Amino acid sequence: MAESGENYTAFNSRALVEVVGDVTDEALKATKIKQLLSVLAGRFFNWGGRKSLFTLHLGIKCCAIEMAAAATPRFDGDRFGVLFRSSPRQSDVLLVNGPISKKFADKVVRLWEQMPEPKYCIAMGECAISGGPYFQSYNILEGVDTVIPVDVYIPGCPPRPEALIDGFGLLREKIIRIGGAPSTGRDGEKPVIVGED
Amino acid sequence: MSISAEQNAAAASEFAEFAEKQFGGSGVTVSVEHHSNAAKYAFVRLTCPPQHWIALAKWMRFDAGVNYCSMITGTHYPDGAERGWGVAYHFLRQPVRDVEPFTADVLKASDLSGASIPLEIEVLIDLPSGDAPVVPSVQSIWVGADWNEKETWDLVGIRFEGHENMHRVLNPHDSPEGFHPLQKQHQIRYHDFNEMYDDAQGFVRKPADEGRVK
Amino acid sequence: MTHGLWTLRVKVDGETVVDTEAELGYIHRGVEKIAEARDFTQVTPYCDRLCYVSAMTWANSYIYAAEDLLEVEVPERAEFIRLIAAELQRLASHLMWLGAFGPDIGNLTLMTWCMRDREMFLDLLQELGGSRMHYNYPRIGGVKRDLPVGFADRARAKIKLFENRINEYEMMLDESTIWLVRLQGVGYARAEDMVNSGVSGPNVRAAGVNYDVRWAHPYSVYDQVDWEPAVEKPTSVKGADCYDRYRVRMEEMRQSCKMTLDALDKIPGGANTHYNTGDEMIIAKAPTRAPEGATGFSNYECTRGASQFYIQGGGDGRGKNPYRLSIRSPMFITIPYVAKTMIGYKVADIPAIMGSFDPCIGETDR
Repeated sequence: MAESGENYTAFNSRALVEVVGDVTDEALKATKIKQLLSVLAGRFFNWGGRKSLFTLHLGIKCCAIEMAAAATPRFDGDRFGVLFRSSPRQSDVLLVNGPISKKFADKVVRLWEQMPEPKYCIAMGECAISGGPYFQSYNILEGVDTVIPVDVYIPGCPPRPEALIDGFGLLREKIIRIGGAPSTGRDGEKPVIVGED
Repeated sequence: MSISAEQNAAAASEFAEFAEKQFGGSGVTVSVEHHSNAAKYAFVRLTCPPQHWIALAKWMRFDAGVNYCSMITGTHYPDGAERGWGVAYHFLRQPVRDVEPFTADVLKASDLSGASIPLEIEVLIDLPSGDAPVVPSVQSIWVGADWNEKETWDLVGIRFEGHENMHRVLNPHDSPEGFHPLQKQHQIRYHDFNEMYDDAQGFVRKPADEGRVK
Repeated sequence: MTHGLWTLRVKVDGETVVDTEAELGYIHRGVEKIAEARDFTQVTPYCDRLCYVSAMTWANSYIYAAEDLLEVEVPERAEFIRLIAAELQRLASHLMWLGAFGPDIGNLTLMTWCMRDREMFLDLLQELGGSRMHYNYPRIGGVKRDLPVGFADRARAKIKLFENRINEYEMMLDESTIWLVRLQGVGYARAEDMVNSGVSGPNVRAAGVNYDVRWAHPYSVYDQVDWEPAVEKPTSVKGADCYDRYRVRMEEMRQSCKMTLDALDKIPGGANTHYNTGDEMIIAKAPTRAPEGATGFSNYECTRGASQFYIQGGGDGRGKNPYRLSIRSPMFITIPYVAKTMIGYKVADIPAIMGSFDPCIGETDR
């Protein structure tokens, strides 16, 4: 048996894998197959990702009830692939559905930072867009886009569940446009607002 | 099947008499007032100077059976002539007692009498103006007063003497010391825009105003 | 998601809860401060958004306080309409509670069933108020608009359907061992303890005393309709457990159905006549200004307890705005009490106990 500190393995596969990998990489680059594969893979993952947008199970205020209603039999967001996940590490979309108070602001930012790329943020309801009816309050931020970048805005107080499902549809269209662009690099995009025709 | 007006009037006047006998003439004023809404029922309003508040509170809880502390409101009157701050307590006397297991106490309104009739009681304490309003705390008398007092201190800044473990409940814990938003010197964001809320539906606007910013 | 945004810090010894502390304030919006810059009519939409699951009862509660302040007499038909709206809202709110409580215990079927049935009542409330959740329906002096044509027939049909559905729920839950084992024997709370701590509403009625603000401090036409406050016998000398609190809300749903059907039969003017907006049958003229020194107070049975508003007049605009609007939320006092109730039980009992008290953080954080 091997004693600690002495490696009796005669054959270490790591070096072999690296060599084979480098050679294959050069060959694929030379024949342009690598480019084709990455385009196809990118399109495939983009299709997979936008057809199954896992949303963080976060409910702040009234719009959370409409979010819950959108998951229920009458409106049924599940048929569009929208599932709720409890952990930010496993979700694609942060659906902000209420006013962000000063106490909660850094927690929203922490949740956003914990989500892996590609991630998207939807601001649902007036309170998340601009502070809503509480825009004059001493404790409420004027919109969640003061702390995190927002992709889709869904106006309403609260927006109907159909509007939320439409918001997810517009997010899917936006994902086709931006591909896998990281959330910090989307400044050039126009904000997407549900209901704006 | 509700408490009738006679029961309510009898309960209010009995309570007021009892309170007058106990505290009359010591600075505590007792009066029976009537609401102007709903069934226009009576309630008992007591005004009390802060130094007698603990005695009044103990009497209310242990002798008069007022077992439910429901609301504590603190108000700041910077322009007030007689008072700078006010604390309004609202209590209910509820006929709720523990029951034996597997039994229920189905109270019938018409059977209630005397101290079992539900009653609303309001206590108003006026504090002199200044920067340090203080009121004795009734945390040990009613458990329901605990978080109400924390909220009143957090939002209005009235200190409750004798309150253990006072901390911010609604504002963030790292709010600046001395920041109590419901004091009148703090103004809400965009407070200058309030003029646009005059006549929000535009009833007073005329067709000639079309297109003009109000 | 469905109970609200708050933190419960729990100190555990193995699996047993040793100490708890509740932290609120994550959605503190400062409504009491904003209301000082609004007209009395403009405050009503803010009150809808206090407890968003039970918006109509909170708007009614504020309106009664404003009517006390401004001294307005409300016509009887408007009181009946407010009663119908409040009881339909109570049904929707208890269904939302059950739809959130089921998943807390692990029964996800309840969520789909309850939300489906809640949609029926949201449609009825939408006919009255225009929106599914925030209606802005009652006005100072009455209601905004009358019952729509055909509302009574639709309401009767839906309520008759729903009464059978309550039986279905009980059939599923009362024969489910998991439900019974998780709820019975958990979360005991005594009546006098609760009242001393400021808890009211169905939580106290589950402990054996049928105290209800609707008959103790009567405010609308509740003594003209046929109903009984739902009360449940506690199963232990230690008080009511989670199962009692669940049963009392099922019984309250039945009572709300009964009340609505009765009110539709007894409404003055008939349920099928439709009066125009502004007609004196449904709204009375109200003054818009309150002098300094005037106060208004209302004591109302919301779905989660006794909610109270205290308004002091004489604010900005020469009395058009309130000087101080103070809101008493039953859940603000109940949540610290519930946190103490959990001591001694297992960690897995925390959602059961918390859910059975029906917290709604919107009204807590104002």
